[in-house]
Amino acid sequence: MSRIGVFICWCGENIARTVDVDEVTRQVAEFPGVRCAVNYKYMCSDPGQTMVRDKIASERLDSVVVASCSPHMHLRTFRSAASLAGLNPYRVEMANIREHCSWVHPNKAQATAKAVQLIRLSVEKARRDHELEPIRVPVTRRALVIGGGVAGIQAALDIANSGYEVVMVEREPSIGGKMAGLSETFPTLDCSQCILTPRMVEVGQHPKIKLYSYSEVEAVSGYVGNFNVTIRQKARYVDIKKCTGCGECWNVCPLKRNPSEFDYAMGMRPAIYVPFPQAVPARPVIDAKVCAKILRNGCGLCLKKCKAEAINFKDQDKLVEEKVGAVVIATGYKLYNIGKVQDRPKLEGYGEYGYGKYKNVIDSLQFERLLSASGPTVGELKRPSDGAQPKSVVFLCCVGSRDNAKGLPYCSKICCMYTAKHAMLYKHKVHDGQAHVFYMDIRAGGKGYEEFVRRAIEQDGAQYYRGRVSKITEENGKLIVRGTDTLAGEPVTIEADMVVLANAMRPADGVEQLAQKFNVGYDEYGFLLESHPKLRPVETASAGVYICGACQAPKDIPESVAQASAAASKVLITFSASELTREPEIAKVNEDTCAACFTCTHACPYHAIEQAEVRTPRGVFIKRTARVNPGLCMGCGTCVAVCPSKSADLEGFTEQQIYSMVESLV
Amino acid sequence: MSERAENRGSTGVPPVQFEPKIVAFVCNWCTYLGADLAGTTRLEYPPNVRIVRLPCTGRIDFNLIVKAFEIGADSVLVSGCHPGDCHYTSGNYHARRRWILFRELLQALGFEMERIHFTWISAAEGHKWQEVVKEITEKTRQMGPYKELYRRNGEAASPASPRPSTTPAVSPEPLRSGTSEPSAAAEQELRDTCRRLLAEDKVKVVIGYGKRGPVFITKPEDVEKLVWNDECLANLTVYLKRKEIKALGRPAIVVKGCDERALVVLEEESQLERKEIHVIGMACQGMGEPKCEACEVHLPRFADEVIGATDKHAPGTADRWKALESLMALTTPQRMSYWATEFERCVKCYACRQVCPMCYCERCLVDKNRPTVIEPSATDKGNFGWHILRAFHLAGRCIGCDECTRACPAGIDLRLLNLTLAKAAEEQFAYRAGVDPKAEPLIGAYSLQDKENFIR
Repeated sequence: MSRIGVFICWCGENIARTVDVDEVTRQVAEFPGVRCAVNYKYMCSDPGQTMVRDKIASERLDSVVVASCSPHMHLRTFRSAASLAGLNPYRVEMANIREHCSWVHPNKAQATAKAVQLIRLSVEKARRDHELEPIRVPVTRRALVIGGGVAGIQAALDIANSGYEVVMVEREPSIGGKMAGLSETFPTLDCSQCILTPRMVEVGQHPKIKLYSYSEVEAVSGYVGNFNVTIRQKARYVDIKKCTGCGECWNVCPLKRNPSEFDYAMGMRPAIYVPFPQAVPARPVIDAKVCAKILRNGCGLCLKKCKAEAINFKDQDKLVEEKVGAVVIATGYKLYNIGKVQDRPKLEGYGEYGYGKYKNVIDSLQFERLLSASGPTVGELKRPSDGAQPKSVVFLCCVGSRDNAKGLPYCSKICCMYTAKHAMLYKHKVHDGQAHVFYMDIRAGGKGYEEFVRRAIEQDGAQYYRGRVSKITEENGKLIVRGTDTLAGEPVTIEADMVVLANAMRPADGVEQLAQKFNVGYDEYGFLLESHPKLRPVETASAGVYICGACQAPKDIPESVAQASAAASKVLITFSASELTREPEIAKVNEDTCAACFTCTHACPYHAIEQAEVRTPRGVFIKRTARVNPGLCMGCGTCVAVCPSKSADLEGFTEQQIYSMVESLV
Repeated sequence: MSERAENRGSTGVPPVQFEPKIVAFVCNWCTYLGADLAGTTRLEYPPNVRIVRLPCTGRIDFNLIVKAFEIGADSVLVSGCHPGDCHYTSGNYHARRRWILFRELLQALGFEMERIHFTWISAAEGHKWQEVVKEITEKTRQMGPYKELYRRNGEAASPASPRPSTTPAVSPEPLRSGTSEPSAAAEQELRDTCRRLLAEDKVKVVIGYGKRGPVFITKPEDVEKLVWNDECLANLTVYLKRKEIKALGRPAIVVKGCDERALVVLEEESQLERKEIHVIGMACQGMGEPKCEACEVHLPRFADEVIGATDKHAPGTADRWKALESLMALTTPQRMSYWATEFERCVKCYACRQVCPMCYCERCLVDKNRPTVIEPSATDKGNFGWHILRAFHLAGRCIGCDECTRACPAGIDLRLLNLTLAKAAEEQFAYRAGVDPKAEPLIGAYSLQDKENFIR
């Protein structure tokens, strides 16, 4: 027989004004299974909670129902109180007689009658509550960071400096991401590499960071606290442990003219190359698509020159296994490629701007390389076609962004700012040059951002036109840019030496396949999905997997760094104990009655249900069954609904409980 | 709660207004919080609704809705997070798919659909909660107490309406004459094949048709017991799951094209592995059953060998859903009355379950008593409950062998319920059971495009 204690709260006047609490107490005390029913003015207060604890002891209660506000407010409070009194916290239920009763029904008789029924519902539920223990899952206190850009670097350093090992996987030969290729950053005009490379070096030398460069995540299995990750180390053909970085190999390589990925084809690199001088690791990689030795067993000069015997043309991809407890995805972005060929049917490209057709129409990242002191033009601004210094440069904002018809409807957030920066840096290099900017709006919301844009206009003389460009053509070596100035109400045609396009930010290639491996959601543009846009911006639907940086949404460097530290803090919370406790209100399958149809396995949103076998202690096979992984189950109950035999059940919301509740409504 | 008006009238006390009972199954994260917000905002609404809080709409099975009506609810509301917002990512999508199918079934049963409501109410939509509750309460008050399904207070159901004609308009006779008779040659070939299979120890048992029922041949000399004629109506795949048969070893099974689809479903549901059974397909021109008119699978498609194939096989030209026409032409109360009359004859013999290859659960839900989901006894409640349950559990799985209809000793036209859900599956989800072994299940999968015009 149950010994349920019911505690009815007045909530001051909030409940007691419309619900006759004494009448409710009297009626509730008659319910079968109710041992005692009391009411008090403020149940959640200290004396109220003490009352609950005292009654648990004096009446030897085995369940508690608190009739007061919404469980979303105080269920935790009363569960802790019960726990302190030695009662299993999962034998506590709440009846919402405030938000769902006293606050919405002014008629006292009706409200009182309803309150009694609502409490009856909770009494029936509490009667059948099981004693549950939080599920303990061991935690491997190592983290995986995918992506070695500024966000990945920040997250890795935060976690490593807290004392935990970090495995970092970066698919390019060097870490640094897009920021390593920038010239100066807004709003401070800091030299991008100067502020980033010390961090890169710290990552490369950190005793707690294991860096897999030129590698990708191949597969992952497991769950929070216990991920098994397979990493593919792509063949570099150079043993980076033996290599000293002396540079003889890339000096002697005869194939010098391959478009440099780091310079976005603004410059050239040899077949064996280090992407940029400050690379981490500062070791070369061989481009197997062009190397003569690899393709047709020719050349081989670098092998002869290498005194460290670090070159190995027999190198192969290697698969490595790592065990980690938490994952941070920081895969960054790419720019919208505005040529006509697109990867999605909805995108149409902007052929009318002549990108890819006219050499002097380039995008913003390419312009950064031309500006950069360590770029292909060594900091001198030379236009791609003939190396001449451009005296007139036109900058187009919103290329691909904010465009429902042909591109992407969202705002890429950083382009207004970097375009202003480009205009300023251009002027700093070409004193007699003129920058023209075509814009729709100026979005300069950060600290010092608005002031920065004003400087570009007022001090560096950038000419801003509010309007769009319809077409760019080339005549006599000049680019003819036809646009509008809507504020003046007139068309504008500019003869430019160079055009720089502010292309939209999109998530990096391959992010969707990566997200699927981790069961992380993504939106229609490929940006990874956070748990809650306001309150949980770095968590995902997968416990233990966090996201930060531009892979989640377009953002600038300060925000990426902040989010990276946020993700790191979530990882540290996960690591704060050697065991993770999870809420035990999860599903379980009655293996005796399970018919092994595995409909539940299909339906589970978290892939938390496995196909398993029931065997005798000696190992003799008896039957197959579905089995819930308590580390993954989030307790939605979808499996229970689809199970034809109702072998699957959900703790805290069992079939028996729900049916008893419904039947009590007679 | 207030007593019903009809109980008060004779004492001279003015009749009390009927107070509808509304049970609301809501999800914890959206609608429950939406109702909380209505409370915080002090939005008033009638006190007739009782909320049962669940973690997700995905947890809500149709049984709960039926149970609510069984215990006396006059209306039921099911509400959860908007598509795309589910706290558990996709629970509401699964729920939506089930609701689409369940509504089709209820409509075919003649249920008053205005008594069931589905909504998406988010945590920010306190006003919507208030409006929805007010509307449903008023509507239900006007409709009056719910009585139909369970004939409460001992009242009889509405006068029985004429039973809809379910016999095919075209007589089945032409199918039996002349070229359609399974030939004696096929029978002989079948026997020879089985003799060889057993003699070469390729199989340990042949499950086939005998003169008066199924036979399970384990010795080559017994193959003479096998027959192939126009009375081979049974779907033998149901025996593959029986323990006694499995214990005999690797089986060969004789199937017609219609039965073979059961093998596809069983394989999808991990109940058998195709390579562990030997399938002998029998080409069939039709057995004169209603299902044969629209048959498209005269030739089994996945068999290890096909016996009796000629070039005279043509798919049936009748409309597969023809039998539903007269049922759906009735009005809603007439349909309810029809089914009430049909189910009155049900004695809960469970022959329909025993003969169905898809009913393989070791512990059938009707046998579960903690909680009692379906009343096992042969009452209105128990019979409606059972047939709703079985029909729904077969949604997307029933392959239309019609054995249940043939086996029913009470002559209940169970076929109509199966056709209703098969039609819904095809029209709403382009899904047909037993066609593609690699297909996702119908229930247990969802699409972002599932139609929700009935969800407010």
